Amino acid sequence: MSLSHAEPGCAAPLALLDTRVRMETPEGIDLILRPAGLMSRSIAFGIDLAIRGVLLGALFFVLGTLGDFGTGLFMLALFLGTWGYMVLFEVLHQGRTPGKQIMGLRVIHDDGTPIGWSASVLRNLLRFVDMLPFGYCVGGFTCLQHPLFKRLGDLAAGTLVIYRDLPPQRPPLAEATAINPPLPLSLEEQRTLQAFAERHGTLSPARAQELAAIVTQPLQLATSPDPHSPVQQLNGIARSLAGSS
Amino acid sequence: MRLTDTSVVIRPRTPWEAIDLGVLLAQRHRALLMTSWAIVTLPIFALLTLLLWDYPSVAVLVFWWLKPAYERLPLLILSQALFDSAPSLSQALKSYASALKPQLIASLTWRRLSLSRSFYQPVQQLEGLDGLARAQRINVLGQKDSRAARLLTALGSTLEMTFWIGLMVLFYAMIPPQIEADWSWRSLLDVEGEWNWLEHLTNGFYALVLIVWGPVYVSCGFALYLNRRTALEAWDIELGFRKLRQRVLGSALTFLLGGVLALTLLPSSSMAESASYASMTDSSVADEIPSESGYSCPLPPLDNPQTDENVAPPDSPRLLNQTLTSQASQNAIHAVLEQPPFKNPKPVSGWRVAPPRHDARQDAQSAETPSWLARLVVGLLNAGKTLSAVFGALLWTLLGLIVVWVIWRYRAWFATFVGKSPPKAAAPQDIPHQLFGLQVRAETLPTDVADAAERLWQQSPRDALSLLYRALLSRLLTDYGLPLKSADTEGQILARIAELKQSSLDDFSHELTRHWQNLAYGHQLPPDQARQTLCSGWRKLFAPGAGA
Repeated sequence: MSLSHAEPGCAAPLALLDTRVRMETPEGIDLILRPAGLMSRSIAFGIDLAIRGVLLGALFFVLGTLGDFGTGLFMLALFLGTWGYMVLFEVLHQGRTPGKQIMGLRVIHDDGTPIGWSASVLRNLLRFVDMLPFGYCVGGFTCLQHPLFKRLGDLAAGTLVIYRDLPPQRPPLAEATAINPPLPLSLEEQRTLQAFAERHGTLSPARAQELAAIVTQPLQLATSPDPHSPVQQLNGIARSLAGSS
Repeated sequence: MRLTDTSVVIRPRTPWEAIDLGVLLAQRHRALLMTSWAIVTLPIFALLTLLLWDYPSVAVLVFWWLKPAYERLPLLILSQALFDSAPSLSQALKSYASALKPQLIASLTWRRLSLSRSFYQPVQQLEGLDGLARAQRINVLGQKDSRAARLLTALGSTLEMTFWIGLMVLFYAMIPPQIEADWSWRSLLDVEGEWNWLEHLTNGFYALVLIVWGPVYVSCGFALYLNRRTALEAWDIELGFRKLRQRVLGSALTFLLGGVLALTLLPSSSMAESASYASMTDSSVADEIPSESGYSCPLPPLDNPQTDENVAPPDSPRLLNQTLTSQASQNAIHAVLEQPPFKNPKPVSGWRVAPPRHDARQDAQSAETPSWLARLVVGLLNAGKTLSAVFGALLWTLLGLIVVWVIWRYRAWFATFVGKSPPKAAAPQDIPHQLFGLQVRAETLPTDVADAAERLWQQSPRDALSLLYRALLSRLLTDYGLPLKSADTEGQILARIAELKQSSLDDFSHELTRHWQNLAYGHQLPPDQARQTLCSGWRKLFAPGAGA
């Protein structure tokens, strides 16, 4: 398995910075992973902390009525909540604790496989190192300095926190009559044209015309007196690329 | 600004990913950003500390309030590093003075507490907008992602505080315990402010924390701003379109260039073309081409239009003029393919319906016996085959069980035939070497005991009787395998001999024991004829000829 930053091969002396990493499986399939940084992860941790705090607080009041026995039970619950919450959720819920679920994160192994018991236990045991000397200072610092945003626990356990890939929703294309592209287009170019038609609504008309003017000549678009014509024709090409469905 | 020169991948991201990109950007220029930040902030901090020595809290507050002024420097560096190479340290510091001036008052007063500070900072610093234009721009930019920008600032200040407290805790953890005890109780009595230096030291920790976090914060805000503009102005689409234009127009240019070249070379090329055309169409030239069998491969039809109709099919014999013809190689390939790694023939026996033959008689017969019946019969036959296999296995098992049972049942009978070694009398170490203080091992005895006893009798009958008795005990141990122990008395030995039920041995033993006891314990010499009876008795019992 090899991790490499995506989109290599540009003329710049350094590879282009990106938040995506490409991971190649032994089968030769490229998986695109998006490691999650300190901000979203700390919010997710905050949510988890709040959930645990509320649950354990409620438990404390309920068990407090049972006297010493209740205190003992509460201590057991505290132990389980501290050590088990993260591990159980991560392993049994596809690497997602409730906080990570809300923030759209999940934990996986370095090689993209789902996290297992040993890695999860290790990365959560090492929270107690990351917490030093106060409030996750070590973890936060390593997270800021590591290119894949790993804290010490992640480094030791070989895990990675990534953004989950949500099922993509098909945005509505701009209404236009389909036009066949005048020349064969590569996949990348087809995607760019699609994106143009999909994001047409968020662009100002002037900007859309400006963009269309770039490809008027190569795509042999008709430049009629109507300034919207190239934009409409681009939308038409995108519609024909998208197909009927 | 040229989008094709960016050092980051331009694509629309979620705001969180944009912030992560900012962290990466700050990581790439880590050394430059942190050094320049330290060069700017640390002198200011030192100055503030000196000026406000008596008011440490005020000093750190002022230092904190001036943050937007420092933040212009990282943005300056990052904006240049994004589309161009990063400036050197001295270049950055030189241009910092000019970047500091515009709208400094606004940044340090009414915009100081804005939570989206880093997000909107590029608008005023890089776009140079002010007043209404700035407000409109911010309005457009802030339609999205402003929540992430506010969260960034909130989280950032939390992080600053955490790191600050962390450094303080680390500092206190490093203090030796004696000094610490001394300190803690002195700081309780701190009235005169003699411990200001300690507070200024902790303020210094804050300055250190800012060296790490300040540039990252600016970078994250800048990345958010870039992301927002990417979405608003479709930078990624512009990049894609420009690449498309480059590809199409670039290739069109080469096409045109090629056309011009072809025109300049027109005479010679057209001549060549006509010549080849003539060779193709002229039948006389075509006839001169050797016939097909002379070639190693069938010729493409264009080269030899005459043979277009009867071009050999791909499986026709080829390569006929060499030792390895196509047919031979085909055969070799087929032979290899028929062998085990490719084909694993396995005989499978069973009943199945024969494929129907197409003649009228069979058709009539198959009409009489419907197919379901045939299938039923075949199924029954196959079931019978399976059952016979099962029964066969059962029968073989039964046979094996019977054999085992017979062997077990008649094991004693078999044992007599199988050479079973007689049970050993006792292990050699179990045989006592001495009984009643007498050596009874066979090697201590003379070979002919009776002769030796007769000879000894003349000198001392005691020795002779002793010898006989020892020899008897020895024989009992070795020949008869009696389990004698060194604790046995003479009477017990006699009782064991009686168990053997051998009257001659019994009588002899009684006789010998009686004489021996009389002599050994009663000091009564045996009568003279006892010598004769005992020695002859011994000879009768244990002589080599007398089978025992």
